Order: sequence, then structure tokens, then C-alpha cells
Amino acid sequence: MSTMSASAVAHRGLYRAVQLRRNKGIGGLTIVVLLFLAAYAVLFPGLLTFEGFAKFSQTWLPLALTAMAQAMLMLAGGISLSVGATVSLGAVVAATTMGTPLGVAGGLGAVVLVGLVVGAITGAITVRLRLPAIIVTLAGSFIIGGVALLILPRPGGSVPTTVSDLLAGTSPVAFGLLLATIALWKLYAATPLGLGLYAAGENPVGAYRSGVAVDTVLIAAYAISGALTALAGFFVAAQTGSGDPVIGSAFTLNSIAAAVLGGVGFGGGQGTMRGAFLGSLLLTVMINVMFFLGLPPVAQYIAQGLIIVGAVALPEIAKRRAHRAGRVQS
Amino acid sequence: MTAPSSTLKTSRLSGLLGNRALLTLGIVIAVWIVASLTSRGFGTWGHLRYLIELAAVIGVVAAGQTLVMIGGGIDLSVGAVITVTAVGVPLLSIPGDATGLGAIAAILGITTAIGIVNGAGIAYLRVHPMIMTLAMATFLQGALILLAGGSAVSVDNAVIDMLGNARPCGIPASVLFWIAVALVTVLMLRRTRFGARVYALGANPLASALSGVNVPMTTLALYGFSGLMAGLAGLLALGMNGQGYVGIGDPYVLMSIAAVVLGGTSILGGLGGYAGTVPGAVLLVTISGLITVVNASAGWRSVLFGVLILGLLLLSGREAARR
Repeated sequence: MSTMSASAVAHRGLYRAVQLRRNKGIGGLTIVVLLFLAAYAVLFPGLLTFEGFAKFSQTWLPLALTAMAQAMLMLAGGISLSVGATVSLGAVVAATTMGTPLGVAGGLGAVVLVGLVVGAITGAITVRLRLPAIIVTLAGSFIIGGVALLILPRPGGSVPTTVSDLLAGTSPVAFGLLLATIALWKLYAATPLGLGLYAAGENPVGAYRSGVAVDTVLIAAYAISGALTALAGFFVAAQTGSGDPVIGSAFTLNSIAAAVLGGVGFGGGQGTMRGAFLGSLLLTVMINVMFFLGLPPVAQYIAQGLIIVGAVALPEIAKRRAHRAGRVQS
Repeated sequence: MTAPSSTLKTSRLSGLLGNRALLTLGIVIAVWIVASLTSRGFGTWGHLRYLIELAAVIGVVAAGQTLVMIGGGIDLSVGAVITVTAVGVPLLSIPGDATGLGAIAAILGITTAIGIVNGAGIAYLRVHPMIMTLAMATFLQGALILLAGGSAVSVDNAVIDMLGNARPCGIPASVLFWIAVALVTVLMLRRTRFGARVYALGANPLASALSGVNVPMTTLALYGFSGLMAGLAGLLALGMNGQGYVGIGDPYVLMSIAAVVLGGTSILGGLGGYAGTVPGAVLLVTISGLITVVNASAGWRSVLFGVLILGLLLLSGREAARR
């Protein structure tokens, strides 16, 4: 009994150390995000009201969900270029099922199921047939987008107003959903499937030889990522009140950008989910600021391109500066 | 793993590589034969020539994409660069420039510079190629709307018109141009030091840097070449369409990557060649042509296109097993 508690203490120490190291990695990013949030609040004091906060969290939620979906795959050494199409598919499924006898619960179930199935199939093709994830998801975006067009050839369908009012109304339900998603992620990260994610991403051969069920871990990651993405689509449909077969296209780039801003690398196993989460917050603030400043869409494109490159490049330059300074001293 | 088995593996792999171009070519020929037998009008000289003309644009963009991907990168900005070219040439045409060559030289300079900026971001700022080129595409998209105002611009340039429409000896000028590009690309990859460096860089960047490859300069040259090729493809697309508009280049991002991968070049870098990309481009155009012939809704066309690309990838794009 005493040995067990001793090992539990050791485990807790290890856990703390890992968490601390992960927090350290995103320290700079946290400061940048806080600065941006402060600037945003100064420019638009509306953010600090109850309603303003609710609206802000509503623009954040879909990006946060897709960024988490993307980060999961990138941590596992994959990537998805079909995020946008899957968001559209989720929106279309929600808009065509919720008004029918299936009801809201049935519709929500259908969205999650569609997301899981789409993700699982993508994962199975990538992992079992050993095709590069970029290409599979690029081809997959055509298939998924095509299916969305088949279900709903032009914008239409409807999401019940009760759902729209609940999710996209004046109460910060979206923020609550965000917290719930984070809690679920923490739970998932503690399961064997979640623990195997980093291992499978960083060194699949080593993970396989150490007994991680790499294939299962990866396919599960793709399936869950698909479900998260489809849920983002459901939320977008609730925001707009109807379905649109091409509404999600911007999410592909934005989800990758948010994950990369958050320090998630392309090689697999590099970065953290909390980083990706902060990255999505940063990107949301940037997009909102540009929108509220009344910049034309043109300038938004230009600014977004510059910001993304700058945000990815600056830490690298700083790192090299520090490295060089260290070498000079020693 | 013992030494003999690994040498056996490499020899088998290189044998496969040599065959991959032929494999893709075989698929193209099989599809053409089946399609001409089942679909009336597919096998006519005029239709096949039209398909090759369309493939020329993809083939030229994919020349740059092939080099970039062999070098271990990816260029997602080619679509935006093609649009820049198609919209930029009419804007750059000035009255004193009777031949129109000045505008062409200027735009090719611009697209090459765009590529070099991509390369600089990747080599010096260490931004991942996918992020750098996607951000560049986003940036260009904004700049384009600013410059062109969203409306289509028609072109009045003799050289571009000739590239798009002339047919010396019945062979379209664009196809002749593609053949020239193909020869230069293959020779550059196979016979020059630059080509060898590109393969080395893609196979193992650290090892190539330690063996004396100037990695930053090679990266700049790679992406500069991709920008130049996308510019040339933009000229071809402009010549065929007669006018440039925002969005003209969008389909070419996926098309160029798919053509390269279908041709057997590894997306991980270091393996492949342009000889496979050529039939890859023709195959892609044939598939989209067939899908248009099958009278289906936009949704079904999109699904079919994706499924066919996935199916073809199974034949040529698989990676080694992990074990």
C-alpha cells in the first residue's frame, strides 16, 4: 500500500513536470493572446458585456473545434485538407435532419455519426492503405463536398429557432460548450488511445514496437477529429439558421493556421492541444478586429497572409537569436 | 534488417520507380481505348488534341510542383500565381510595347519573384512550405482583388494569343511549348548538379547540408522555378481563355499536386521524376473530361472525381509499411 502511494506521488510529479513543460512552451503565445485581447477590449468595450462576450465566443467556437480537430491529426503525424468540406457536410446534415421527425436530438446524433464515419473512413484509407494524408484528404474534400452538394444542392433546410436561439443567442452557451470540449479532451488524453496519440505521431515505429496499437490510435483520432469538425458545421448551421453546402471552405486554412500559430508542428508529436486552442483564440481575435475596423475583405486577406507568416516566423527568429547569443557567451 | 535484404529492396524500389511513369502511361492508354469504344466522339483527333491542350497547362504547372515536391516541399500558391499572371498581363500591357513581350517578361519576373519570396520564407524564416505558400496564396488573393477589381480582363497580346491558339503543322503551340518545358525539366533533374541537389535535399535535408549542398539557395531556386512555371502556365491558360479573371487558377493547385503524385513522385520528397508527371497530367484531364461527358449533377461530378483520384492513388501513391 505504501509503495503504491509512493508510485502515485512519483506519477503526480511526472504529470506536473509534463504539464509545466507544456505550459512553458506556450508562454510567449499566451502573452501575445492576452495583449491582443486587451487591445480588442480597449477598441471595442462591447466585448466586456455579457452579450458581447456571448457573441465573441460564438465566433470562436467553430474555429476552436476545427483547430482542435486539426491539431489532433497533426499531433498524430497526419493532416486534413477536408476540414472545410466536413464542416459544410455537418451543416447540411444538421439543416436537413433537425426539421424532420428525427428532431434536434436525432439530428445532432446524425451529425456526430456522419462526422465519425467520414473521419473513420479517411483514417482507414490513410492508415491501412498507406496513402499520404494530404492527398487522401484533398481527394476526400471533393467527395465530402460532393456529398454535401447531393444532400442539399443549394442553401436551404432549416435549424429550429429554439436551437439557434440557444446556441447563437445572447447567452454564452458557446463558451460553456468550449469548456465542455476541453474537459472531454482531457479525459480522452488520459485514455490509452489519447496517450498513444503523441507516441504514434512522433515515432510510429517506436510506438508500434512498444505495444501502442498505432493503427487503432490513428483511425480513432481521424474519427474523433471528423466528429468535432462536423459538430463545428452543426454550430455554423445553427448560427445561420439554415444549411449551405459550401459554407465551410474557409475552415481548412484557418484550422491549420490556428494549430500552427499554437505551435503544433507538421512532423507529428510536436506541440500541444492547449497551444492549438490558444492559436484559435488568437486567430479569432485577429479576424474580429479586422472585421470591426471596417477593413475591406481585400485587406483582410493581405493582413491574414502577413500575420500567419509573421506569427510562425518570429518565434523561429527569436530562437535562433537566443541560440546565437548563447554560443557567443560560451 | 540485414544488408542484402535492404539492397534488394532499393533495387526493387528503383525498378518500381522506373515503371511508375510507364504504369501511369499504361492507365492513360487503357482509359483512352475504353472511353473511345464506349463514348462516341471521345476518340476523335479533335477531342484528344483538346485534352492534350488542357493537359499542357497542368503539365507546365506540375513541372514546378514536381521539383518542389522532390525537394521535400509543396507549393500551394501556384493557383494564385496563375491568376496573378492571367490578370496581370492585360494590366501590364502598355501602348509602346507593340510585341507584348515586355509585359510577358515583366509578369514572368513577378511570378518568379513571388516564388523566390516563398523560398526565402521557407529557407530563412523556417516557415513550413504548406503554411508559407498558403499564406502567400491568401495574400495574393487579396492583392488581386485590389488590382483587378474582380471583373474579367481580356487580353490583346499577339504572343499569348499564338501560344493559346496557333497550330503549326496541326499540333497546338501550347503542346509544343509543353514538350519543350518537359525536356528542360527532365534534363535539369537528371543531368545537372542542381537536379542532384534537389533529390538530395528532398531525401535528407540535414545530410545534404552537411555534404555541402547550399540548402537556402537550392530552396530559393526550387520555389523560384515553381513560380516561373506557374507564370508560364498562366500565360497558356490566358491564351486559351482569351481573358483573365480572379479564380482562373484555383483548380490548378489540386490538379498539379495530383498529377505529380499520380506520376509516382513521393510527397515526402527525394523520389520520383517529371517523366511520370506528364502522363499523370493527361490522366487527370481525361478523368475530368469523362466526368463531364457523364451527364451528372455537380455533386456527383465532385464525388466521382475524388473517388477516381483516390482509386488511382492506390495504384501509384502508396508508402512503405511501418514495421
